[in-house]
Amino acid sequence: MLRTPSSTTRAAGLAGVMIVASLVLTACGSSGSRGDGGAMQADDSHTATVTITAANGCQIPTTSYPAGALTFKIANQDATAVSEVELISGERIVGEKENLPPGFSGTFSVDVEGGTYSLYCPGAKQENTAITVTGSAPSLTGGSVAALLKSGTDDYAKYVTLQAGYLLSSAKALRSAIASGDLASAQAAYEKARPFYEKIEPVAESFTIGKNNLDSDIDARAGDVPAARWEGFHPIEKALFQDKSLEGLARLAAGLVVNVEKLQKLTNGLTYQAYELANGAQDLLDEVATSKITGEEERYSHIDLLDFQANDEGAEQAFAELQSALTTIDPQLTATIASRFTSLDALVDTYRTGSNPSGFDYYGVLTQIDKRKLAAAVKAVQEPLSQVASKVAKA
Amino acid sequence: MPDRERIPLQPSRRQFVGGSLGAAGALVAGGASGVAIGRATDGPKASAAAKQIPFYGEHQAGIATPAQDRLAFAAFDLTTTDRTAVEVLLGTWAAAAARMTAGELIGPIDTAPQAPPIDTGEALGLGPAALTVTVGFGSSMFDDRFGLGKRRPTALGDIPPLPRDALRPEISNGDIGVQACSNDPQVAFHVIRNFARLARGTAIIRWSQLGFGRTSSTSTDQQTPRNLMGFKDGTNDIKVQDTADLDDYVWVAGETDQPWMRGGSYLVSRRIRMFIESWDTDFLSDQERVFGRFKTSGAPLTGKHEFDPVELGAKKPDGTPVISLNAHIRLAGPASHGGQKILRRGYSFTDGIDPNTGLLDAGLFFIAYQKDPRKQFVPIQQLLGSRDNLNEYIQHTSSALFAVPRGLSGAGDWWGKDLLR
Repeated sequence: MLRTPSSTTRAAGLAGVMIVASLVLTACGSSGSRGDGGAMQADDSHTATVTITAANGCQIPTTSYPAGALTFKIANQDATAVSEVELISGERIVGEKENLPPGFSGTFSVDVEGGTYSLYCPGAKQENTAITVTGSAPSLTGGSVAALLKSGTDDYAKYVTLQAGYLLSSAKALRSAIASGDLASAQAAYEKARPFYEKIEPVAESFTIGKNNLDSDIDARAGDVPAARWEGFHPIEKALFQDKSLEGLARLAAGLVVNVEKLQKLTNGLTYQAYELANGAQDLLDEVATSKITGEEERYSHIDLLDFQANDEGAEQAFAELQSALTTIDPQLTATIASRFTSLDALVDTYRTGSNPSGFDYYGVLTQIDKRKLAAAVKAVQEPLSQVASKVAKA
Repeated sequence: MPDRERIPLQPSRRQFVGGSLGAAGALVAGGASGVAIGRATDGPKASAAAKQIPFYGEHQAGIATPAQDRLAFAAFDLTTTDRTAVEVLLGTWAAAAARMTAGELIGPIDTAPQAPPIDTGEALGLGPAALTVTVGFGSSMFDDRFGLGKRRPTALGDIPPLPRDALRPEISNGDIGVQACSNDPQVAFHVIRNFARLARGTAIIRWSQLGFGRTSSTSTDQQTPRNLMGFKDGTNDIKVQDTADLDDYVWVAGETDQPWMRGGSYLVSRRIRMFIESWDTDFLSDQERVFGRFKTSGAPLTGKHEFDPVELGAKKPDGTPVISLNAHIRLAGPASHGGQKILRRGYSFTDGIDPNTGLLDAGLFFIAYQKDPRKQFVPIQQLLGSRDNLNEYIQHTSSALFAVPRGLSGAGDWWGKDLLR
């Protein structure tokens, strides 16, 4: 039911990449011809024409519309400071269109109930215009954005609980493997445990207060803390993969299990704000960009690509929990992030291999070109993702 | 919550682990608006900061503009295959450049507390500082990704391998070239940084180069600067006041096979490493023989003052030429190329030390503008590369050619609009 872009105007190119807010899909059955371009539609009471100029800002000749479907057709003539238009109800973004530099035009569609809205053109000379909507829409979808976000954050809490549980059982397995005295099985156990931590690392980091630092206790690398206080995964990694010795590891493995138990206890029953999921996802991708692509995280075992994938998965999970709500707020941004995650996943998948227990190529095989491609794919997700927190925080 | 307080999941950095992260998150937002005009408050500095070069016009600024002191250059590769995304990128860049060249932010810094500022902020209060932003398209953009093959100008052929080239492909060419010049290095860098950010997901930086000092004078008001060899090179450069030269040698006109290139020009860049440690051990008269000029005065060896004519036919008593047959001034000058000239707009650079030798990795980031590189840069460099006395002390390590379209008519116009639409 997406509209076919008009082929008669230059705007068609932009319309081609737009996704109409999903709310429209469930609205009135008569919407088939709505917004199919052409000047005739401009007088339609369900179409709003917005012109942005440097001199006058964001101009909309009609400011009152009947409830129901409403399509905004926007053209930026020459306002260099403006690149997007939002429809806002209270603090909430109801719909918006981005990528509107001067010389470009585009549309977005929403379903609106009766009430007062604001057309917000950030950076324009006239930034806000009040829009009045009268009457009541025939049918609006049930799930409010707030309800969708609530269910998303609840689901994310379950995900964290699940991963913390896996982390604990795999840490115990590592402890047993070390106790058994078999280096190879201890190495394999190390590789199995790592991803569970990497998927939820920002949650552990959120318990970092002064000396009480679970992230450091579990995941500090050599030099992050004084040598005497170095514990957690990485001194075990060094012993297993560089020194190839199990000496003294029983104490470290036991300590790791204790700290992971602490983490599990702390995360159990925790609730999250939607913006925290967005920031957590961003944090995971920062981890990828700063320590995995550089090979600094797993400097002895070289399983950085396994961690990379785990960080990516954790970030994508957090985003996925926000996706249904975010789609109603900003379908275009949501689609952009989703497609960039897909590209990133596809790129990471090219490094999967059966030739070692981690399931991924070791860091050493990466060429400089590989690293740059991976970094660019991560940054391509991060830039639009950085917009998400503010959007869901307002919802 | 059990025994510990929990802080919200804020983006953080790994190296802060173990530090006092607790309060950091709250302090991240909302700081920058109070940053005042610290660097641009007094006297000549203030007027330099306020100097504004018009962004819109028949030709792009940054070519026939008196050469500013600093350069930030970057070549981008498009990662998208969506032509619309390319159009939006160029439109977004054009709007951002219009604002930055006027000394304005590309968008507000004080946005929602939960959203990153739109402008990165480091140029706030620095003024326009004579900023120009010049954009061109590399030949790779005309491959089959965007269906532009038939729009490729024949003058945008790849530069053929030239004598003594030691080019590194990873710092050569690219789909789009961006030259940002300003009298303030941070203003110039701000352009590249924000362009890269606006391009995220659509294009990536392939390579970039900073230039710390201009080596060309493109205006009769400017003194000829010295290159890192200590010589004035470029005394006879095309000057912005000489509109006949600009029309004859720089601006593309009706002769092009691609109407979208009219009013444009072709940018050639060459990163020329200088072996300055070797140069510094060469004796003075040999240095002067290499260039064909006196080091201190900048005068040709046949004259006393910088702008004295270069007399290529002058002979010493023993019958040998005063200006050596392979002197740089002789081989680079128009007389050796049927009168052809180029507009040079290069910058000195240093990129630290060569990791293999510990020697300074420094030299000239050569930029030249011209009507047709096949008739100008290429034959000039063919001759220089094979015979120039300077070759003993230099090496070309990167090369790029960009078709720089006409200037933008106003807001709503963007680079390549007639190419892409």
